[in-house]
Amino acid sequence: MAQKKPDLSIEFCGKKYINPFLLSSSPVSNSAEMVERAFDAGWGGVVFKTLGSDRLRIDHPSPRMNSMTVGTRKMSTVQNVEQITDRPLKDNLMELLYLKKHYPDRRIIHSIMGFADKEWEYLAKMSEDHGADTLELNFSCPNMTIEGSGDQAGKSFYDIEHYTSIVKRAVSIPVMAKMTPNITDMTETAMAAKNGGADAISAINTVSGITGINLDTLVPQPEVFGRGASSGTSGPGVKPIGLRFISDMAKDANLNLPLSGMGGIETWIDALEYLLVGASTLQVTTGIMHYGYIIVQDMIEGLTDYMASKGIMKLDNLIGSTLPKLGKTDLFDLDRQGVVEYDLDKCVGCGQCLNVCTDAGGQALKWDDVTRRPELNEDKCLSCMLCSFVCPVSGLIKYKAMPEGWKRNETAIRDPSLEKELKYEPYVHDGDDGCLV
Amino acid sequence: MGISDVKDRFKQMPPGMNMDQAIVEAERCLLCHDAPCSKACPAGTEPGEFIRKLRLRNITGAIRTIKSNNILGGACGVLCPTAELCERECSAMMASDENPGGSDKAIRIGDIQRFLVEHSREIDFQPVEVEESGVSGKIAVVGSGPAGLSCAAEVSKLGYKATIFEALAEPGGVLRYGVVPFRCDTDFVEKEIADVTALGVEIKCNSPIEGKAAAEDLLKQGYDAVFMAPGLWGAYALQDDSANIDGCYSSVDFLASIRNENFDNIISDFKGKTVAVIGGGSVAMDCVEAAARLDTTDVNLIYRRSYTQMPAEEIERIEALQHGINFYILHQPTEFLKDGNKLTGLKLVRTKLGEPDESGRRRPLLIEGTEWDMPADIVIEAIGNKAVDDSSDWYPNVKVDGKKLIVAESETGATSVPGIFAGGDIVRGPALVVEAVQDGKVAAKAIHEYLSDKE
Repeated sequence: MAQKKPDLSIEFCGKKYINPFLLSSSPVSNSAEMVERAFDAGWGGVVFKTLGSDRLRIDHPSPRMNSMTVGTRKMSTVQNVEQITDRPLKDNLMELLYLKKHYPDRRIIHSIMGFADKEWEYLAKMSEDHGADTLELNFSCPNMTIEGSGDQAGKSFYDIEHYTSIVKRAVSIPVMAKMTPNITDMTETAMAAKNGGADAISAINTVSGITGINLDTLVPQPEVFGRGASSGTSGPGVKPIGLRFISDMAKDANLNLPLSGMGGIETWIDALEYLLVGASTLQVTTGIMHYGYIIVQDMIEGLTDYMASKGIMKLDNLIGSTLPKLGKTDLFDLDRQGVVEYDLDKCVGCGQCLNVCTDAGGQALKWDDVTRRPELNEDKCLSCMLCSFVCPVSGLIKYKAMPEGWKRNETAIRDPSLEKELKYEPYVHDGDDGCLV
Repeated sequence: MGISDVKDRFKQMPPGMNMDQAIVEAERCLLCHDAPCSKACPAGTEPGEFIRKLRLRNITGAIRTIKSNNILGGACGVLCPTAELCERECSAMMASDENPGGSDKAIRIGDIQRFLVEHSREIDFQPVEVEESGVSGKIAVVGSGPAGLSCAAEVSKLGYKATIFEALAEPGGVLRYGVVPFRCDTDFVEKEIADVTALGVEIKCNSPIEGKAAAEDLLKQGYDAVFMAPGLWGAYALQDDSANIDGCYSSVDFLASIRNENFDNIISDFKGKTVAVIGGGSVAMDCVEAAARLDTTDVNLIYRRSYTQMPAEEIERIEALQHGINFYILHQPTEFLKDGNKLTGLKLVRTKLGEPDESGRRRPLLIEGTEWDMPADIVIEAIGNKAVDDSSDWYPNVKVDGKKLIVAESETGATSVPGIFAGGDIVRGPALVVEAVQDGKVAAKAIHEYLSDKE
């Protein structure tokens, strides 16, 4: 008998999703024609490109994006200067009706952005009246050219709470607030949204950044007719920031809201990591910009096979599983130490380990010029692991925990004879000098 | 097909890498400590260094590394048997104790090298400059092949005035007259030479230094030192009168004619003919590839040992096979067949391999009773170059060996006559371009020391 397949469906804000994978509100969710293709590829839902009221005209800068290549890795981060939709609200609502009608099993989330109280209220109602399953309030676009909007609102506790409460009073569907990472502590901005009545938080919007400068014109890219700006940066390079903010919010017992995670997701592994730190739906743009909607199939297949291999049949059982093991650095057991170990049968003799150990590690390696193999002095190994990062052979260099009580040598002093020139006196802590510990 | 169509097939070498491809390769590089590729380059071109520079987008620096170490770095990138040199040592092949053969391809070092040099021309970057050293002195260089160009460039960088005397109408030596243009085209060769003349080197063409003691006389004519690099322009032949047979060419004459005024005659002579090329080295491969482009009917390669023993690079052998050359391996030609003085074919005997000879390769042994006649309208003998017969008369006091190769110290290029240095094929016998470049570098350093000591 065939084994039962793991179930990727999930409930989020009281709505059932066939899988946790959503298009985020962005250029990849700009029209019904696009979203239709995404749904056909297997995406569980969409956060449609942010709706506006048509009161203020939206023009996108041109060119709209820049990509940062790292080595041969194209689009390791992408910087865009797009704003919210430039399409008329009427057109967008027709598009959303089309999707609602033809894809009843997919969840349609309307992203909205107002520039005044009444506008937020109006857009929320329009969305509810046109079948939105949920609302996402865009408090986080860093590219808006309209004063006080986008992430300018998202950096104001007052604005977040105020606009959220206006929307909540206007509609009965769930409301999710999308947060900017261009702040210090997202639990505080998220709490402002919760105080305004938000039912969920989505994060992160793009990180404000500069991916490159044109070295001839000296203008930051994307170069918009002679001008550049720090603007929305996304892609694999921002994943650590996204995971950090999602986990911060997931661990905050006072916040205690469902989370929709995004930032650099392009493989099932990225997706799984977001689930493990507490996200229960996942949103993607840059991965689609690079590879197309098809990537959802690899995320579904990879995640399903992972769950099957671990005997996890429900997605719910994964969410937040990493959080008990995630804490502050002061909880580390610093009495336990380790070193690297080398499986030299696999070594190809490049010596990159030697370079990094010598210039950035513990000078723990010697090199045999003839055999072209490193020789490790464990006593000097810092377990920085740099050698394992540059080694071209996976699995050749591994971490090895040393027995309790093992200590490495202290770094050698270059010239011990200088001791006679020392004017050193040890620091004495008298218990009353404002020291923390 | 007209003559100009045939000529078009010879004009250009295939395009090289572009920046994207070069970067993909540089990203694959393992950036080895004490880079084995660098150690394997006979001329110290430092691939480990220029690939690291490319990887870190220090592209002008990468070009500078190549060209300051090897003024003919572009030509070497094109012509070097890299699979036998730098690329053979490449760690990116991922050879380990567990997997001694490796499982991946070497970094395409030669292609990267060619790309960087071509890129320097695209961005009009001149990487090598003359040093302000305060030295003075005149150096005569005999021969504008790789060794001569390299030596002239190196002494010029030090501040000396170098003059190259070239016997032929255009400079370049084997780069121009010994290699087919579809392997290293004229435009490319001329740009490499331009990098040498940009350093102030003067090249006098149609200026043979031959005749009684002509080379030694240069010292009396005000030159402070002489570097002899005339190359090997004589040809070994199956029999002494080969050159007189109608339809018999030496590889030296055949390849040179592709770049000179005889080319039109060659084109009409070869059309519709059956050609047999004797030999198994890179020169033989150039000859068969060239013959195949001349609207010939059949091109047969005759080699007395086995396929794997051919000195030609594997890639050259494969390309020749792919281009429809018929390989007659394990065949020894014993006699030219003639009608009057007109060549009609070759008498061939099949061979088998016996014990290894002094080259370490198994010796071909004739199999009795296996003679047969191969019809051929044209035979090209590509069985090796040698010194021009009277070359030792040009430098009667310089010690030469039995093959009329100049005896020179390997660390300095110094000959038995003070002030006369030598390098390249005239010292080594048939050798690689990159080795000739190294000889030029070594001699330039020794000439500088010689002249410094003299003061």
